[in-house]
Amino acid sequence: MLPEPASPATPTGLDLWGQQRATPHQGWQGPAAGPKGQLTHTERKWLGGCVQEVKAMPLGVSHGIAGTLLGEMALCAKKRPPEEERRARANDREYNEKFQYASNCIKTSKYNILTFLPVNLFEQFQEVANTYFLFLLILQLIPQVSSLSWFTTIVPLVLVLAITAVKDATDDYFRHKSDNQVNNRQSQVLIDGSLQQEQWMNVRVGDIIKLENNQFVAADLLLLSSSEPHGLCYIETAELDGETNMKVRQAIPVTSELGDISRLAKFDGEVVCEPPNNKLDKFSGALYWKESKFPLSNQNMLLRGCVLRNTEWCFGLVVFAGPDTKLMQNSGRTKFKRTSIDRLMNTLVLWIFGFLVCMGVILAIGNAIWEHEVGTRFQVYLPWDEAVDSAFFSGFLSFWSYIIILNTVVPISLYVSVEVIRLGHSYFINWDRKMFCMKKQTPAEARTTTLNEELGQVEYVFSDKTGTLTQNVMVFHKCSVRGRSYGDVFDVLGHKAELGERPQPVDFSFNPLADKKFLFWDPTLLEAVKMGDPHTHEFFRLLSLCHTVMSEEKNEGELYYKAQSPDEGALVTAARNFGFVFRSRTPKTITVHEMGTAVTYQLLAILDFNNIRKRMSVIVRNPEGRIRLYCKGADTILLDRLHPSTQELLNTTTDHLNDLDEEYYEEWAQRRLQASLAQDSREDRLASVYEEVESDMMGPLWDLQLLGATAIEDRLQQGVPETIALLTLANIKIWVLTGDKQETAVNIGYSCKMLTDDVTEVFVVTGHTVLEVREELRKAREKMMDSPHTVGNGFTCQEKRPSSKLTSVLEAVAGEYALVINGHSLAHALEADMELEFLETACACKAVICCRVTPLQKAQVVELVKKHKKAVTLAIGDGANDVSMIKTAHIGVGISGQEGIQAVLASDYSFSQFKFLQRLLLVHGRWSYLRMCKFLCYFFYKNFAFTMVHFWFGFFCGFSAQTVYDQYFITLYNIVYTSLPVLAMGVFDQDVPEQRSMEYPKLYEPGQLNLLFNKREFFICIAQGIYASVLVFFLPYGVFAEAARDDGAQLADYQSFAVTVATSLVIVVSVQIGLDTGYWTAINHFFIWGSLAVYFAILFAMHSDGLFRMFPNQFRFVGNAQSSLAQPTVWLTIALTTVVCILPVVAFRFLKLSLKPDLSDTVRYSQLVRKKRAQHRCTRRPGRTSSRRSGYAFAHQEGFGELIMSGKNMRLSSLGLAGFATRSGSGWIESLRRKRSDSPGSPPDKPLKG
Amino acid sequence: MTKMKKTSQICQSKLPDNTALKQQQLPAYRLQLSATGVLSGFFATGAFCLGVGIILILSAKSIKEIEIKYTKICANCAELREDAINFDKECTCSIPFYLSETMQGNVYLYYKLYGFYQNLYRYILSRSNSQLVGTDLKDVGNCAPFSKSHNGTPIAPCGAIANSIFNDTIILSYNLNSSIHMEVPMLRSGITWWTDKYVKFRNPSAINLSSAFTGTAKPPYWSKPVYELDLEDTENNGFLNDDFIVWMRTAAFPTFKKLYRRLNRVQYFIEGLPAGNYSFNITYNFPVTRFKGEKSVVLSTLTWSGGSSLFLGLAYTVTGAVTWLAAFSMMAIHLMLKEKRTLFIER
Repeated sequence: MLPEPASPATPTGLDLWGQQRATPHQGWQGPAAGPKGQLTHTERKWLGGCVQEVKAMPLGVSHGIAGTLLGEMALCAKKRPPEEERRARANDREYNEKFQYASNCIKTSKYNILTFLPVNLFEQFQEVANTYFLFLLILQLIPQVSSLSWFTTIVPLVLVLAITAVKDATDDYFRHKSDNQVNNRQSQVLIDGSLQQEQWMNVRVGDIIKLENNQFVAADLLLLSSSEPHGLCYIETAELDGETNMKVRQAIPVTSELGDISRLAKFDGEVVCEPPNNKLDKFSGALYWKESKFPLSNQNMLLRGCVLRNTEWCFGLVVFAGPDTKLMQNSGRTKFKRTSIDRLMNTLVLWIFGFLVCMGVILAIGNAIWEHEVGTRFQVYLPWDEAVDSAFFSGFLSFWSYIIILNTVVPISLYVSVEVIRLGHSYFINWDRKMFCMKKQTPAEARTTTLNEELGQVEYVFSDKTGTLTQNVMVFHKCSVRGRSYGDVFDVLGHKAELGERPQPVDFSFNPLADKKFLFWDPTLLEAVKMGDPHTHEFFRLLSLCHTVMSEEKNEGELYYKAQSPDEGALVTAARNFGFVFRSRTPKTITVHEMGTAVTYQLLAILDFNNIRKRMSVIVRNPEGRIRLYCKGADTILLDRLHPSTQELLNTTTDHLNDLDEEYYEEWAQRRLQASLAQDSREDRLASVYEEVESDMMGPLWDLQLLGATAIEDRLQQGVPETIALLTLANIKIWVLTGDKQETAVNIGYSCKMLTDDVTEVFVVTGHTVLEVREELRKAREKMMDSPHTVGNGFTCQEKRPSSKLTSVLEAVAGEYALVINGHSLAHALEADMELEFLETACACKAVICCRVTPLQKAQVVELVKKHKKAVTLAIGDGANDVSMIKTAHIGVGISGQEGIQAVLASDYSFSQFKFLQRLLLVHGRWSYLRMCKFLCYFFYKNFAFTMVHFWFGFFCGFSAQTVYDQYFITLYNIVYTSLPVLAMGVFDQDVPEQRSMEYPKLYEPGQLNLLFNKREFFICIAQGIYASVLVFFLPYGVFAEAARDDGAQLADYQSFAVTVATSLVIVVSVQIGLDTGYWTAINHFFIWGSLAVYFAILFAMHSDGLFRMFPNQFRFVGNAQSSLAQPTVWLTIALTTVVCILPVVAFRFLKLSLKPDLSDTVRYSQLVRKKRAQHRCTRRPGRTSSRRSGYAFAHQEGFGELIMSGKNMRLSSLGLAGFATRSGSGWIESLRRKRSDSPGSPPDKPLKG
Repeated sequence: MTKMKKTSQICQSKLPDNTALKQQQLPAYRLQLSATGVLSGFFATGAFCLGVGIILILSAKSIKEIEIKYTKICANCAELREDAINFDKECTCSIPFYLSETMQGNVYLYYKLYGFYQNLYRYILSRSNSQLVGTDLKDVGNCAPFSKSHNGTPIAPCGAIANSIFNDTIILSYNLNSSIHMEVPMLRSGITWWTDKYVKFRNPSAINLSSAFTGTAKPPYWSKPVYELDLEDTENNGFLNDDFIVWMRTAAFPTFKKLYRRLNRVQYFIEGLPAGNYSFNITYNFPVTRFKGEKSVVLSTLTWSGGSSLFLGLAYTVTGAVTWLAAFSMMAIHLMLKEKRTLFIER
């Protein structure tokens, strides 16, 4: 019933603050489509889907119903029929105007001064809670029904609306400001043959604009020409996709000549292209000019939001402007997630409404009977209202009156308070120094503020491997050349040496160009190189040639490699240290220092890496004139086509070389050119051409040699095994979903302690058909059930609502099992008829590893668990391929500072190291859950204690809907007198110190089992509230009924009674919050005592003579507080009420502590008696041998292959010089920056020793 | 160099502040329900409650109080009042009673109504404070259904509360012997709250009261206008009439007693009300039988805490007893488990 927002807006704005704070540019970023061209097909498809989802709600123009309204109001964005294709002619505004394309004015703001109030209110009243309170307000305006003053509802409502409105207004103000700033940016537009300064918003489609270095691109432009050779220009796309590396764009050759203004002014080409869309990495269109057609691709486009770098100037033709740009098309909000407590709360609120109606009905019936029996006779003193003609009708009216009075059981402040608490918890996450990564300077970030307490309930963690569990920092670990393996270190006795006991690393001092940071322990490899072993030489030659690394040499001998993927860098660095130094490259050559001598190879082709091919090749002509193809790639890909490798290697890249026939090459090169010129599906065509040459060479026709294999270690991140062990102890099941191959995944499983020696058996499911998979799963289950091996605590999968079938397996499981399943088996296992079987098997296992899974499968696995286990899932990952599962899981966590920020953008929480997960869950999550539960319990308690008093009073006031309290008390009770102490508890409370929750991971369990706030707990608090209300009403009633004041006057006047009941209520709930607060900080003290003080201050102020004299009709309680609270009887009553309300609670808690303490009680107790023993402390288990502690991840990025081959990034001057061997300052970045004029002279060659 | 400095500053700004608040390390007292704390608290509370309870019971017992319901005794008058036609017929009723013990000290005379709902929502609302405070006699905004008379003049005092004022006159006579009947001297002053008498109720300012109330009508059930409530004492006339003020302080429950007079301790009555024969002479005006109500007169003394209420004393005693009971059983449970728990912790 309550907030189920029609719009993607958040239920109350407060969490928007968090979001706004978390991502100041959120509107600009959104979950971008895979901008990297390297995604696999599945990935791309899926991401496309997600983007579609986003497109449905672009920020500026969609906000639910209000959004469409706004969209129409937006001045800049006129509604047009959907475009089918876009035509834009350069320098022809008249022609372009007839299409009515959107101008370059953008509007992300939602309101203007006039529309703010109506539109904002309209939006806010879409919240069910707000509407409900509005409905109450309207009810109150009916005089016959009104039982409270109008302000008792309107004050809290206005307060809540005002807070939200102020926040919305502030947000919108900043949006206006940024809109204005952006719209008023200056750009140089070519108008009537001359460059004129224009504001961005006046730029039209078809204009030619000039950009200068470091300027933002104003609209989506077709690059026409630039200051750089070949019409190249460089852009940074950080604002678009979060990647900070530079990208290169190139004008098509025909326009790249158009350098000067007079020629550009005459340019009248027409662009015909696809309609606006949000695909950042796709563009298809054509330029028609001089009766020819030139295909256009994304490579020719400069997108709005990019920054021009290292390029003096460039000219571009505006193709999409303003809201049509890809940036704006991509801005949107991610799907709104809610927590299970949210859902429970909504259910409970519905129940409370039901309860409210029941109470209303009872009281209404009471009223009808009373009016019939007594009221009719009492009419002498109080005639019925004119509208009331029967007792029945009076009862009907009193129903509504009571609905108004009793509405405080669900106060509007509940929702605001929950948001405030969550916001506080989010800040604590952001502020946590223990989740701050010093190395990367990244703090943890709560990107959504609505999920915090769910962090305390996680049962399943789905983790990516590369970059999440591992560092994604590749280290050249081992290699094998011609069957001889290098890299293992043996001690004197010939045993493999462990990590800690390694001898000195290999000395690379012979090589002045060696990388000092590179470490290798096996001296035999260097010996082999030095001995001149041809195979080893050829092996390292491959490593130094077959790559797309760029080298930069700032000073003589100081080489810096820029690699697109860390493993490529690791390989080239290894070759460098072993004497095959990749020194510099030009489009056509690669210069390598082979054991000190410079050798220049002619580079004929680079067949670049991508995720499908999983390999790359280069074709070079060596100084002897032979054409060779060097290929390296993932072992599975290469070995599939070759004889099986015999080497004991874990993570391998195999390397091949092959001599090529000159003619064959020529012919193939021709076809490649054609493919690369193809307009549509260029990438597919290229891939097939590449495939052809590689498979040909690997085929029987050619003499292909396997040179060797390399093992690159992807080190585990710091603290991963400990974290996993701790989370496992906390009964969190961790599933690793990785794109890696099975062996790697299993090894990582061992090294990060997911799989241990305690595991009875690891089931490996690798079936290729449905039947095989089913059979394998069945066998695994049978084994688990039949196993004679029984370990005491074998029981693993705890379930809240297990189906009978599931329990049967779970109960029978003895021992610890692990499941490893392959991507293709998973595809079958996830089919509708097998998914339950799979889930059942997987959940019975202690560890689950899914390897070779696609992003979509990751999401499916998460969805499966989410759907059937009714458990809270958390997905953690770092890359674009994890976005799907991050979005699917209840909680998505992104590892920041690794591969780009797509995962982070899609995530709810982000930090930079996996190990912080334990703190996020066990400390922050646990506390959030605890606090939220305590908060809710207390909140419902206090409101029932408050409201139910009216119900009891109904029986004594003829069910006339008379309130017990002063109306001001009703207004202020929830927003002033009792709000802050419970907020302070909800924000600051701690049951045990944070170290303890790490020491005793079992403390996490109550959250998983949902023990602290569920329907049962809810009824307990309700019952407690009702109990308190009974005492708070009937004790004063009992006393007042007979007693007199000490001056003889009547004690039981209505006003004294109201003050007594209100005061005892405030004191009772204050004492109760004092009891509930486990962690009394100064703030808690301040709020609790402050609330009491404020209560009395306001009470006395409201009852003062001064206010009465000014407003005699409003402040009727004049003199009451002074007079009543001076009576000893009143205070004795208050004291008794407090004692009777509180003591049973204390007794109950004490008994529970003694008889049935839960773990946190015990932990606290043990602390109290200063016997800190860590029984559940996570003990370190002995590590595995280091040989298994390795991981592998292959490059996820396409290299610079194409760019290198085109030579476009090389200066003419440097090209000329690069033909010679070495040259200082040949770093490519450096060369890009240098102007043609001040190109440095080349120092003389310095032959290297060695 | 400056660049270095700048970057290090940026780095520092990213690192969250190391404040106790942000790191959730605020110094705090951890609330712990320790056995000693809880049990000693229980025993102390129990002792306090028992003590207060016994004192309250004892003081309540010391109170002398008699109550005489006179609706049935004055049945003829009640019947007369059933019919509105007889509104101007006077009916008096004498209720003799015997006081067996002297009522020591201050004695208070109350009237008590059963089943009269002064706490109905519309009834409580039906008054005009701005009129009663004398600033705006014409303000009868909230007074429905008794805001204006038939001819449209505003009623003063308006509203249902004022209209339904208790208008019996109760006179207590002391029958020293069969021939000497002596009216017991009673004070009508000091029966209202100070703020009521001096802040909440003021007469409109004018030369005399009757002119102040010109342009207003008397409440329909009243026999005389408000400025004639007490013609002898101007301080007790108009809105400032003590009986009126007492009535206007509405009761919380349908059964209530309101202070009517207090004993003027002079002559025979310096010590209080001596034992002997008394009679109440009641002018019966206020009809209660229509709504099945009852009226009674109450004579009572007071103690330090006010009027008689055994309830509070009993409640305290019971609470104290139960608290002690609970404390003992909790202590027993605690001692039984203590051994077990120490073992558990040490394990």
